[in-house]
Amino acid sequence: MNGDKRAQQVQQIIDYLVREVVGRSEVRISADMPLVSSGLIDSMALVNILLKLEDVTHMRIPAGKVQPKDMDTVDLMFATAQRVGKPRK
Amino acid sequence: MWYNEDESDTVTFGEFVRLAQAQAANLLDQGMRAGDSVVLVMPQGIPLMAAFAGAVLAGGVPAILAYPNFKVDPVKYASGLAGVAQNLKTRLVLVDEGFPPEFSVHLRVADDAVLLRAGKTSTSVAKTLLRVHADPDPDALAFIQHSAGTTGLQKGVALSHDAVLAQLEHLATALRIDDRDRIYSWLPLYHDMGLIACFMLPLVYHLPIVMQAPVDWVVRPGTMLEVISRHRCTLAWVPNFALQFMARRVRPEDRREYQLSSLRALINCSEPVRATSLDEFQGIYGAYGLYPAALQSSYAMAENVFAVTQSEIGEPPRRLWVDPRRFWSDHVAIPTDAGAEGALCFVSSGRCLPSNRIQVVAADGAALPDGAVGEILIRSDSLFTGYYNRPDLTAQALRDGWYWSGDLGFVVDGELYVVGRKKDLIIVAGKNIHPQDIEAIVSSHPAIHDGRAVAFGLYNPDLGTEDIVVVAEAEHENELSNARAIEAALRNAIVAELDVAPRAVYVKPPRWIVKSTAGKPARSTTREKLIAEQPELQRLNRHEW
Repeated sequence: MNGDKRAQQVQQIIDYLVREVVGRSEVRISADMPLVSSGLIDSMALVNILLKLEDVTHMRIPAGKVQPKDMDTVDLMFATAQRVGKPRK
Repeated sequence: MWYNEDESDTVTFGEFVRLAQAQAANLLDQGMRAGDSVVLVMPQGIPLMAAFAGAVLAGGVPAILAYPNFKVDPVKYASGLAGVAQNLKTRLVLVDEGFPPEFSVHLRVADDAVLLRAGKTSTSVAKTLLRVHADPDPDALAFIQHSAGTTGLQKGVALSHDAVLAQLEHLATALRIDDRDRIYSWLPLYHDMGLIACFMLPLVYHLPIVMQAPVDWVVRPGTMLEVISRHRCTLAWVPNFALQFMARRVRPEDRREYQLSSLRALINCSEPVRATSLDEFQGIYGAYGLYPAALQSSYAMAENVFAVTQSEIGEPPRRLWVDPRRFWSDHVAIPTDAGAEGALCFVSSGRCLPSNRIQVVAADGAALPDGAVGEILIRSDSLFTGYYNRPDLTAQALRDGWYWSGDLGFVVDGELYVVGRKKDLIIVAGKNIHPQDIEAIVSSHPAIHDGRAVAFGLYNPDLGTEDIVVVAEAEHENELSNARAIEAALRNAIVAELDVAPRAVYVKPPRWIVKSTAGKPARSTTREKLIAEQPELQRLNRHEW
């Protein structure tokens, strides 16, 4: 995938996390920052984050193949989408 | 049939038996003896079901533990797993090959414990099967179910072969099971609804079952209705919250292909049945062929294997409107008109299954008449043997042949109405307040996430009675800027409906409330979290009984 497009997708997820999940605009999130293990986001938010990741990547991600550690940073989320995701029908 | 969106896997009954036999042979090869407990930690699917059936076939006593998924908190999962595994003191643990290694350490509870990787099967099935216990002692343990609760506090409910088979026979009778039935389930196999209604029942009665993983349903709740439509399923069970979840979360454009007329019973079970949830679901899915009488109710628990009551198949569960003043002040359900001001609506969980009896008793154990609210006691031929390795808890719960459920309810015309849990009861100046009623009032506020409210009592030494404390989650983060006004509105609504004033109402961000493994708000853990966060509550908490 072209690097610019990936960078855009990463930014879309970060914006979503700041706006909809953390809900505080002053929070800065980087792609390699631990999210759940650091307590920044609650694991219960992961269902919505997974759905957002599907929208952004245009992939379908089988939830059963994803473990907690696979979603702990934005970089890991994209690596997981790459590993287990399938193109959307 | 095992279903997910991209691939499905179908096994016939004969193929399933062979898979189970291979697993039985494998366990016997590993030195499992009759009566040994076997812990299964595998993702939901056909291999897990085959391992469970194989362990029973080989005379073992299997217990399924929850498998981690992406949305569990790893710390909580690890501590829950360690607690449950410790209590089971098992020597044999069958673990999926993909089980995250960081959790494995929590499974090894004995020095000689054997961690077996699932997927390995024995080559000597035929030979080993000669050792299989084809005719087990009816009183011997068949398996262990875990009661719902926050993970670390779960109790292992030990069930005999006799109890399981008695329950299945009564359940099949109440449901009028026949060979045209086909069951759908996304329910976890480590809970009674998933294990008994959606695995043991179809196994024993040779009914087809279409199943998917709980996590797949949570991410895409509409898949349940899609699969039921496609495979013409006739029976399914869900907890109350799932009805509202599917009514609100499935987009209208995704509903077009639904055809739900095959469903003859969609049974609301495992939490108090709410008329508003039934109506909301029916209001949307009636247009897709769902018969009003298909929405059914049941009262069930692991300690009775599964169901105690079931509503009459083919008729909607009965509803009873009761006088609110008499209910709150005298704890008695006096029927009134549906349109009467403030009338409370309760949905019946139905009548007792054959050979099941219910008694409603007061705090001193005295039997109460019809309509009076008290603790529900159960007697049946499918009661549990005891809590595994916990004679202390068994002695508290099983007395003189009756199981003391800790649930509160009343009986009218032979129908059971469940109203809440005894241990959570809040008593304010002699008046019993069920936290569920406060939570329902709070949940109905548009700024609050439905079902995400917890109410509890805190002893106030200045007043000599309990104070009510309420915490609820905002529907959206941006509503928090208006938290004070919402808190005031919630307080007013509670005062208006229940005539008691809460001491404190807190509105917290989405996903703040702690949930149990069954997905319900965990009242006691949420209470501890709130007290830790709010110093003004800590003074009161020090004076708890």
